[in-house]
Amino acid sequence: MSSVAAEYLPILIFLGIAVALSCVFVGLPVLVSNLTGTNQPYDAKLAEYECGFPAFEDARRQFDVRFYLVAILFIIFDLEVAFLFPWAVSLGATGVFGWTSMMIFLGILTIGFIYEWKKGALEWE
Amino acid sequence: MQPIAESIGIAAPELVLATGAMVLLMLGVFRGNRSLHGLTYGGVIIYAIAGFALLGDAQSELAFDGLYIADDFSAYLKVLIFAAAAICSIIALPYLVRARSDKFEYPVLIMLGALGMSMMVSANDLLSLYIGLELQSLAAYVLAAFHRNEASSSEAGLKYFVLGALASGILLYGVSLVYGFTGTTDFRLLQVAVTETPAVGTVIGLVFILAGLAFKVSAVPFHMWTPDVYQGAPTPVAAFFASAPKAAAMGLLVRVCMDAFGGMMSEWQQIIAFMAIASMVLGAVGAIGQRSIKRLLAYSSINNIGFALIGLAAASELGISGVLFYMAIYLPMTIGAFLVVLSLRGADGRPLDTMNSLKGLSKTRPGLAIALLIFMFSLAGIPPLFGFWPKFAVFNAAIDAEMYVLAVIGVVTSVVGAFYYLRIIKLAYFDEPEGTVLPQESRVNGALLAGIAVFCSPLGLFLMGPITVAAARAARAMLTF
Amino acid sequence: MLNIIVFLPLLAALIAGLGNRALGNVAAKSVTTGSLFVSAALSWLLFFQVGFGDTSYTQPVFEWFRSGDLVINWALRLDTLTAVMLIVITTVSALVHLYSWGYMAEDPDQPRFFAYLSLFTFAMLMLVTADNLVQMFFGWEGVGLASYLLIGFWYHKPSANAAAIKAFVVNRVGDFGYSLGIFGIFLVFGTTDLSLINETAGEFQGRTFEFLGYQVDILTTLCLLLFVGAMGKSAQLGLHTWLPDAMEGPTPVSALIHAATMVTAGVFMVCRMSPLFEAAPAALTVVTYVGAATALFAATVGTVQTDIKRVIAYSTCSQLGYMFFAAGIGAYGASMFHLTTHAFFKALLFLGAGSVIHAMHHEQDMRYYGGLRKEIPFTFYTMLIGTLAITGVGIVGVFGFAGFYSKDLIIESAFAAGSEAGYVAFAVGVFAALLTSFYSWRLMFLTFWQTPRWNESEHIRHVTHSEDRTGTGGYKPHESPMTMLIPLGVLSVGAVFAGYALYYPFSGEEQGAAFWNGSIAFNVELMAAAHHVPLWVKLASTVAMLTGLAVALVYYIWKPHKPAAFVEQFRSLHAFLMRKWYFDELYHYLFIVPSLWFGRVFWKRGDQGTIDRFGPNGAGWLVERGAGVARRLQSGYLYNYALVMLIGLAAAAAWFLPRAMGGE
Repeated sequence: MSSVAAEYLPILIFLGIAVALSCVFVGLPVLVSNLTGTNQPYDAKLAEYECGFPAFEDARRQFDVRFYLVAILFIIFDLEVAFLFPWAVSLGATGVFGWTSMMIFLGILTIGFIYEWKKGALEWE
Repeated sequence: MQPIAESIGIAAPELVLATGAMVLLMLGVFRGNRSLHGLTYGGVIIYAIAGFALLGDAQSELAFDGLYIADDFSAYLKVLIFAAAAICSIIALPYLVRARSDKFEYPVLIMLGALGMSMMVSANDLLSLYIGLELQSLAAYVLAAFHRNEASSSEAGLKYFVLGALASGILLYGVSLVYGFTGTTDFRLLQVAVTETPAVGTVIGLVFILAGLAFKVSAVPFHMWTPDVYQGAPTPVAAFFASAPKAAAMGLLVRVCMDAFGGMMSEWQQIIAFMAIASMVLGAVGAIGQRSIKRLLAYSSINNIGFALIGLAAASELGISGVLFYMAIYLPMTIGAFLVVLSLRGADGRPLDTMNSLKGLSKTRPGLAIALLIFMFSLAGIPPLFGFWPKFAVFNAAIDAEMYVLAVIGVVTSVVGAFYYLRIIKLAYFDEPEGTVLPQESRVNGALLAGIAVFCSPLGLFLMGPITVAAARAARAMLTF
Repeated sequence: MLNIIVFLPLLAALIAGLGNRALGNVAAKSVTTGSLFVSAALSWLLFFQVGFGDTSYTQPVFEWFRSGDLVINWALRLDTLTAVMLIVITTVSALVHLYSWGYMAEDPDQPRFFAYLSLFTFAMLMLVTADNLVQMFFGWEGVGLASYLLIGFWYHKPSANAAAIKAFVVNRVGDFGYSLGIFGIFLVFGTTDLSLINETAGEFQGRTFEFLGYQVDILTTLCLLLFVGAMGKSAQLGLHTWLPDAMEGPTPVSALIHAATMVTAGVFMVCRMSPLFEAAPAALTVVTYVGAATALFAATVGTVQTDIKRVIAYSTCSQLGYMFFAAGIGAYGASMFHLTTHAFFKALLFLGAGSVIHAMHHEQDMRYYGGLRKEIPFTFYTMLIGTLAITGVGIVGVFGFAGFYSKDLIIESAFAAGSEAGYVAFAVGVFAALLTSFYSWRLMFLTFWQTPRWNESEHIRHVTHSEDRTGTGGYKPHESPMTMLIPLGVLSVGAVFAGYALYYPFSGEEQGAAFWNGSIAFNVELMAAAHHVPLWVKLASTVAMLTGLAVALVYYIWKPHKPAAFVEQFRSLHAFLMRKWYFDELYHYLFIVPSLWFGRVFWKRGDQGTIDRFGPNGAGWLVERGAGVARRLQSGYLYNYALVMLIGLAAAAAWFLPRAMGGE
């Protein structure tokens, strides 16, 4: 019991730091603006931030498909990074095999990237 | 751990396809849509090279630590898959150009699909199975919606995607159950782990896996997508869906059943037999009264899959070789039938798909009508056309396995099926023409059509010897390894 | 040589039949006729070699099939009996081919006609050269087929089609008996080889088998079955109804098939199997009675017919009866003798009748003829010869026409046989000779004497369009072309001399045995007795003939109004004869009406009411409903599809869950 918990201790610490940091990031500007007197709230400012859309409206509205496209393209590379972290940590153990595998993976991903770039998927207009 | 170089050598066909697909993609993206024809024929060359890479010693070999297997069984199916993919990318050219959908991605997507299928038939692990399946499916989703400006095509793509995702989910759930109860995903280890009295979880896992695979071969009751997708998707894409993926998924199903879950034969035999009967009946009955030829052909493919499943239900070497033989004949027949549909264009040059447009075809396009006649008689399984023999082979296997009910239902439904095949012939030969049908615009398609028609005609029987020998060898290789 | 004789007609038939229009009329006719004349010439050569030499043999062609003990070979057997049939068939066939050049000149479909004729000849030759029963059956069915095709040659005529079907169906009845006979013979003898059967027939004499508690003689049964086949083919009483109707075919066909050759196949078969029949005396008695009854029946009916071809058809039927009762009393030589001479004079009569019909623009009713003697003299004289031959005119010990020798020999043999059946046959034979003479002369007088009655004929009026009310109606009959007259001339020679020339070889005591050389069961004693019957027996048939002639003279030359008065007086008798003893009506009520009734019941109740309703139609209904359900399920909504998938999955899981749980 204790050993399992002990193994997850770094994560707990990591979580703690993360929570603390985000509290600082959120709390500090509020505190500073209030202290300096630049706090001038109005309706739009107080509304929830929702990716550039009005918060309370019919959800079945058309919106530009480019938002969607960008999100998908972002997720691919997001996952790639998620994949790279463990690989980087264990590279010592997997050795040349691990390294070539990841290079092949990155190569394929790059080809996809070239394709989307050339197709103009990354340009807004 | 197996040296990676050795694994790569064994998996050379997939490597060729993967590299080829990426090269084509790069060429296409830099040279634009005008490179469609070049890429297509380049793709054919790549298929040829990949097919060439299949040659070699007939031994069964494992690669990537048992994730991948290369044997006669996979080689046989890969030949079918590559050939079907090559033909389906060629026949699409005139259609795509006319529909202003001549985008260079088409042959690339087909090739990626073929790569996925190739992986499927060589999968020796539930995970590599899933990888292949998904690669194939993803390519297929995009292909179904290739006419992205047309509502019907988009609808087909979306339906296919949603239901396909559901099926993949079911399959994955089954895989996880099986892994949980047996502790392995490797087919060879599963063979040992699965016994006569399996755990409940293993049984349910098997059911889920079979359901996921049944979706791919469009066996009843996982067939619902088929008519809608075939009708909505561009015709050459429908031809592709009806051919290569069926062979791949069928091969996969056979390997999973016979190899991985060989110990649970009595369980899966019930499922397969039920799906065979349901597919045969629904495929035969559902086709009646259809007005769209593509929709009719969709039911026809459901029907044919039912027949092929008879061979698997028999669960014998005879049955498996029957399935393989069936696929080898079914693929040309169905591609040929779709090719006829592709060749139908009305007076305004637009493609025709209604049954009524076949009326009086023998007067307006006698050559095309003869090809249609051959394919329909062949699909109906009327001797001496080629389509008779695979049916005979699977029925024979069922009789041999003492599954008489299955064989009798098969014969009865093939009679019902003959009704709508013959109706097409009646329309083409005995009715007066309604409107004009333009002549064949592509010489290549005409030649392919003629070639496939000759294959399905009694002349093709000369090939029966080699095909049956190859099918028998493939079946034996899969069962004895 | 035998090969050439048999297969040349087949080759010709194939060329003419397949070439058809591409080949053209002249080429098709030349090929078939030419090859038949070659066959005929070779046949005569063989006849002299075999009949007066000693060269009988069996020539194997190839193995047909082998199934267990049953081995059937194609082989051509040649002996005297075959040689006799060969000359009859090829000679008449060649002449009929030639005759058809003229007779069919205006037909649009000549290559087909000649191909059928040659095909028939081939089948007939196969029949007579067969060395086993199965091969003979092949020829037997082959001639049946050709006969069917030729009777229905003018297929646009409903009556011709009906006649063709009738001939085919009635022959089926006979063939059924024949094939049963073949099966039985194989069962008993273990072979179908003719010579083996004939050699070993004696061993089985008197053996019986039990059937429904009765002891039945094996050989009698087999022979009767075979004889049923012969009755069908040779139009014997009971199975005779098809022959008169077969006259719907073109006249050359009637001459070749329904007079000279095919209808004699039954006689041939009985003679061919004569050692077997000799071992079954009871069967022979049946043959005698059936033959005698046919001879009498057909002759009576022949006396009242008005259609010229039907008179000759009944005459044929009657003469076949003579042949059968000759065979029945054991005088196979006499039977074959009459078969041969009959072939010549009957073909002659038919072709002559054809020539008359040709001259009279397809009018076949003798009531509309008359006075044609002067108009078509050649035809008249040849038909006169034919009539003299069939009625058997001659002076004992000097010379006679063909029928004089052969028919009188049969009648004498019947007397000489000494049995009860023999005496009955003798009496019937003499009386039938009287009738034969009467109807033959009646035909001659109505056609060639008296005054013309042509204007009453529809056919004639159709061409002349004249309002001429005199007897000729303004019509001018024309003599037939040379192609038709030459065969008439040749056959006339045969009709005159065949009897005289062949009398001793066929029936002499010593010569006959040497001539037949074992190919039939030649009864020397019977022949000797037949040659030495009392004088009154010898004269009986001549007297009968003269009586018939006298009656005909009275009724049709001196007092032409008499027949009508006679008919008036004996209305029922006339009707009885006119309606052919009511055989067709009897069969209609006995077989056809019940069959139709059964058919209707099976059709309405069985087929439509039960099988169709629950079978095809029921299945069709089910399939249609199923298709409707399937279409409705295919709604197009994604959630429906997903639901179906999940239901399927859940059902499968539910199916296995209890089992798997129970298994644990």
